[in-house]
Amino acid sequence: MEYEEDQTLATHEQELRRGTVVFASLVACRRPQYGYSLLSTLTEAGIQTEANTLYPLLRRLEKQGLLTAEWNTEQARPRKYYTVTERGGEVAAALHSNWLALDSSITKLWKEGTR
Amino acid sequence: MTALTDLYIDTVVRRLPEDSRGDIADEIRATINDMVEARLGGDDSDAARVEREVLEEMGDPAVLAREYSNSPQHLIGPASYPLFLWCMRRVLPIVAVVTLLINALAHSLTTPEVQLGSLLGAAIGNTVMAVLATFAVITILLALGDHGLSPNAKTIPREEAKWSVDQLQSTDPAVSQNRLEAICSLVILVILAAVPFIPTTLLYVGHLNNGETFINPDLAPGWLAGYWLLLGLIAVVESVKLIRGTTPPALLLIGGAIDVVLAVFLTVAMLTQKVIHPGLQSAAGPDLQQIIIVVAVWIIVIWDQISTWRSIRAAR
Repeated sequence: MEYEEDQTLATHEQELRRGTVVFASLVACRRPQYGYSLLSTLTEAGIQTEANTLYPLLRRLEKQGLLTAEWNTEQARPRKYYTVTERGGEVAAALHSNWLALDSSITKLWKEGTR
Repeated sequence: MTALTDLYIDTVVRRLPEDSRGDIADEIRATINDMVEARLGGDDSDAARVEREVLEEMGDPAVLAREYSNSPQHLIGPASYPLFLWCMRRVLPIVAVVTLLINALAHSLTTPEVQLGSLLGAAIGNTVMAVLATFAVITILLALGDHGLSPNAKTIPREEAKWSVDQLQSTDPAVSQNRLEAICSLVILVILAAVPFIPTTLLYVGHLNNGETFINPDLAPGWLAGYWLLLGLIAVVESVKLIRGTTPPALLLIGGAIDVVLAVFLTVAMLTQKVIHPGLQSAAGPDLQQIIIVVAVWIIVIWDQISTWRSIRAAR
């Protein structure tokens, strides 16, 4: 029973995080980031992300025109840097507004439910 | 970078389109190197263990490749599933009925002495094959459509996707039940109407009257005409039920009345005429045989009347 409850919580947490990682990646890529630096930035910010999810996600965001990618070969090790595009910045701003509205709504609902 | 990492990267990228392999391989390689380097922190003594740890954290190469390819991992996706269900519910029954009828007809016309077993075997066997083939074709076509052969299909609003309140009645289980009953009744009526034409060989008793029909050939044609007329009236009532999807009490009463008239008609015919073919009359006497048929007819009619009465009460 406890195992089932843990599994249910894990599934819902995963659902909740899925969209958050896109938003967080767009926000973090306002300055150029390569894959591992972005992973570290997100982890340090408290947004748990798995490497095998993040890299394919960055590629999809690049295909959608929300990020640009460029190989930097000047360093000892070539790295692919991702930067948010103008369109990506607009999407991030819209997601941020939604995020604040949702936060406000959930807070209100939570307060009403605990009265 | 070791052969193990190379093997991991090769295993990932060989599942991906050729034009993206090089770029993704470079990206994964850079990532793995960064992760290994960060964990080693300058001390390379434990490099092999850390590399294994990082590769295991990257996960199953097949899963990673799937994430990169972003291709659908289902045969029929949510966008096409309602259409798939609609096809299964509407197209398959139609194919089954049409194939069954065509095969039964073709077998009857091409076989010199039709027997029930061979008729059912040929018709049902071919019908099962036709239904399976239709199922496969529908599934493959929708899967192809769902997997991008018709990219515009998802953006075109489908007619069946527009729901209206009018659909409520047609999806009501009671309506479906009514229609199913009407279809069954019509099938039984067709079989009953065909009785005067069915050769005795069909039921393996052709040797009793040289493969003639079950009905006495000397029976006056008026009796057969009356029989078909009454069956025709019942068929009209059942057709109305089929079209409307509901059975108003008045229609139930009319249907019940025609049933009784048919029972009376058959009783009179059985008690006054030699209806059964003389070759099929039992040693116990033709009268007893026909009386048994009359009793059976009335049992069915009384049962039907009770059902009708219950339906009217339930409708109130």
